[in-house]
Amino acid sequence: MRLERWLYTVPLRFRSLFRRNQVEQELDEELRYHVERLTEEHLARGMSPAEARLAARRAMAGIEQRKEECRDTRRVRFIEDAVQDLRYAGRTLVQSPGFAAAAILTLTLGIGASVAVFSVMNGVLLRPLPFPEPERLFLLTHSPQGPMIHQPSMADRDYVAFREADRSFEHVAAFSGYNGNLVGAGDPAVISVGRVTVEFFDVFRVPPALGRTFLRDDEKQAGRQIVLSNELWRSRFAADPRVVGESITLDGEPRTVIGVMPAGFNFPRAAVAWTLYAIKLDPHNGFATPIVGRLRVGVTRAQAQAQFETLARHFSNWSGEKLVSGVLPLKELLVGNVRRPLQVFAAAVVFVLLIACANVANLLFARAARREREIAVRAALGASRGRLVRQLLTESVLLSLAGGTFGMVLAGWAVPALLALAPQGRIPRLELVRLDGWVVAFAAGLSLTTAIVFGVAPAVRITRRGSHESLAPGLRPSVRVQERLRASLVVAEIALALVLLTGAGLMLQSFLRLRAIDPGFHPHNVMTLTVDLPESTYPTAERMHAFHSAFLERLGALPGVIDASAVNWRPLGTMLIHGDFHAEGPTSAAADSTADKLAVGPGYFRTMGIRLLRGRDFTARDNASSAGVAILSQAVARMLEPSGDAIGRRLTLEDHPKSEDWLTVIGVVDDVRQWGPAQPLHAAIYQPYPQVRQPFFLRHMTFAARTGAQPVTLAPAMRSALRAVDVNQPAASMVLMEDVLGAATAEPRFQARLLGIFALLAFILALVGTYGVLAYSVAQGTHEIGVRMALGARSRTLVWMVLRRTLLLSALGISIGMAGALATTRLLGTLLFEITPTDPGTFSAVAMAILVAALVAGFIPAQRAARVDPLVALRHE
Amino acid sequence: MSKPSDLVQGTLDLLILKIIALEPRHAWAIGQRLKQVSGDVLQVSDGSLYPALHKLEQEGWITAEWKLSENNRRAKYYRLTSPGRRHLDREAANWDRLATAISYVVKLKEA
Repeated sequence: MRLERWLYTVPLRFRSLFRRNQVEQELDEELRYHVERLTEEHLARGMSPAEARLAARRAMAGIEQRKEECRDTRRVRFIEDAVQDLRYAGRTLVQSPGFAAAAILTLTLGIGASVAVFSVMNGVLLRPLPFPEPERLFLLTHSPQGPMIHQPSMADRDYVAFREADRSFEHVAAFSGYNGNLVGAGDPAVISVGRVTVEFFDVFRVPPALGRTFLRDDEKQAGRQIVLSNELWRSRFAADPRVVGESITLDGEPRTVIGVMPAGFNFPRAAVAWTLYAIKLDPHNGFATPIVGRLRVGVTRAQAQAQFETLARHFSNWSGEKLVSGVLPLKELLVGNVRRPLQVFAAAVVFVLLIACANVANLLFARAARREREIAVRAALGASRGRLVRQLLTESVLLSLAGGTFGMVLAGWAVPALLALAPQGRIPRLELVRLDGWVVAFAAGLSLTTAIVFGVAPAVRITRRGSHESLAPGLRPSVRVQERLRASLVVAEIALALVLLTGAGLMLQSFLRLRAIDPGFHPHNVMTLTVDLPESTYPTAERMHAFHSAFLERLGALPGVIDASAVNWRPLGTMLIHGDFHAEGPTSAAADSTADKLAVGPGYFRTMGIRLLRGRDFTARDNASSAGVAILSQAVARMLEPSGDAIGRRLTLEDHPKSEDWLTVIGVVDDVRQWGPAQPLHAAIYQPYPQVRQPFFLRHMTFAARTGAQPVTLAPAMRSALRAVDVNQPAASMVLMEDVLGAATAEPRFQARLLGIFALLAFILALVGTYGVLAYSVAQGTHEIGVRMALGARSRTLVWMVLRRTLLLSALGISIGMAGALATTRLLGTLLFEITPTDPGTFSAVAMAILVAALVAGFIPAQRAARVDPLVALRHE
Repeated sequence: MSKPSDLVQGTLDLLILKIIALEPRHAWAIGQRLKQVSGDVLQVSDGSLYPALHKLEQEGWITAEWKLSENNRRAKYYRLTSPGRRHLDREAANWDRLATAISYVVKLKEA
């Protein structure tokens, strides 16, 4: 029915829009026919031809209006007007290129920055995970909260208990990742391996592309099977389907390939292969891993959380700290750490954009004042107010669309630059960041919103005044009301810029303090090489001791090496063993009797630049056959002896020590910030590695070499030394300690730098805005200034007049901004190090900087006011 | 005389639809026919027929084509579309109901 009518109406609309001339002609002809018939009728009634034509023409008088009524029925008026407005707007903007360029540049900066940040947020935070129904994937955690815990996790035995009892999830799987040594099928390589339970692939609902994934039966010989990722299958096995059933060697052990996953499945942490996770139910050691589960259809997160908490009451307390139970969206594991910084950046660009809007609104106000006559003329000719507002808004939209387009271009250039600046490997899912349809839609929406934000007030304001006033000759358009509005825009800009600058100032302070922290070691010129010795080739501690000693000997002999040594858990590494120790004799009452347990080679403290405070270092004589010795960090020494002089005291790391498990303290060293400069100092107990008998403590070993200069050039020699000791042993990683420390502060540096860029942008825009308004009001007030001068005002008074206004505006902006900053810098909370979000020093420094800058911006117009020539000024109009 | 004072808003549409339902006509002829069949009671002012016709056309109830008129000149002839015919039936029925109801009320005798 409706459709049938469209058959007639749609072609008509098109005709009205695109064949407008023809439609008009036909309308003309139709009405002309009417007039002719009317004339004929008059003639027939006996009128003279002249009279008949006159009567018909009289009827014609109303006909123009009829035509307009006919046009109104066409329902395309809106579009016609819009096209007309656009043309007109384009023409006016081209006529004032200076204004257009300033406005578009400002908007480009504001919109470009916003689009850049949005495209990163879109990729990292918003895009869904690449699994079926990702919104039903959750992480389960039952772990202490705090800076030490970087990811949600659960003890193995709790996982097993939960797996039995739970009814909310279809499947729950434990998983962890590690770097494994792949041998055969090319050079030995370190690959990222996922250790997962049987349920893992069912949770993600990703079936294998070839073969199968793990089955319950595989658990009996866990670790004997391996599933390959598509990438590994292609790069190492030439995409050969016969690989299923073949044996490959990972970590020195043969494993049967049972399946290959489809391309794109690389969870967790870019895994390229998966082996079965062996659940450890040892009651003494808490092994905790992340747990992922797929929620049943119809169960809400809240229900699952409630059920989980009920079950969690029976879980063990494996860490000694208060444990928090939670059901978190899986994305949390990936993006939890970057959400807050990204939110801060988003807030920062919104501020920049608002300031840009305020600037453009100011430009529009200034321009509107010059256009008052034009608007008044159009109003007098019958344009309705709504029509005029629409016309002015069209100009705003045109400006912001231009700004949006250039902003997209700017973002396209800025995003890769931004990502290059970002610390490597710290922001997840960066590969998903791109300028896609969502980003384009965002830019378009933002441009339109922006146009309304900065365009409405000027448009409404300028069309409000009665037309007679502006048309009267000689009367200058009144600017008072506008001035107040523009002044409040300046106040808002200053306030916004102050909030941003304060935030950036806090981040900078925090970063500087972080950098100034003494980590307890000297990273300068130290190159490290880490190995993970496989159990198959190195089953015993003795075999590993032999490897360590042989490699250390070769390292120490390399040309250029001053000191070389080894440590199992190097500072700022990814692993650490932290546990109980027991001392003989009295200890300090408040003693916390846990410490990091580290195995080191002789000369380790010299190599790493850790200060030896008392006693002596380990030597080659502290070996497997000599008496057990230990070196304590200052914190442990103080637990034993408040004075710190613990030399000669005895302690043990075992719960049930035999006589050979007792260690005599031979030295005390400085505490080291093991987890990073922002983390507390760690109490540590060092043992010489030849005296460490548990293989677990020896598998992962970092070898460090200090050189006189150019430590990077040492890398090839270190690699060949490693090959000389064991040709099948790849280096898990090689890094400079300086880079390690740099990476630990890379994130704060990046955050401080980025926020600094935004704050600077905001600062400049706000200053330009302040200057613009003051300069404009001086220009507008030239007449008044001239009168004052003619009446004897001194130029100093005039300078003061402008500066007083500047002071007033900036003082107002600063107080509002301070209040805003007090309310918002709390958001930075967790990102700040050793500085409170309301640091008075930063607040007052930023306020002073803004005040000074505003006065400088005001000084130029003030000078101009003082130089006004009264004669010229009075002839101004 | 020139004001369609007696024409209720919207009834002009109904009249136009009814007149061209019988045969396609151009605007002038519609005006003439209206005068004629209503015994000069119903008149539309010069030209006010045109916005009404254009509105009906834009709504898809009627459609137009250019043909030679009785005096051998080009004129725009309007005819009903099939949705227009159904529209006319509905509107005519509405009108009947309304007219009957009003005439009942008008004919009420005082008690």
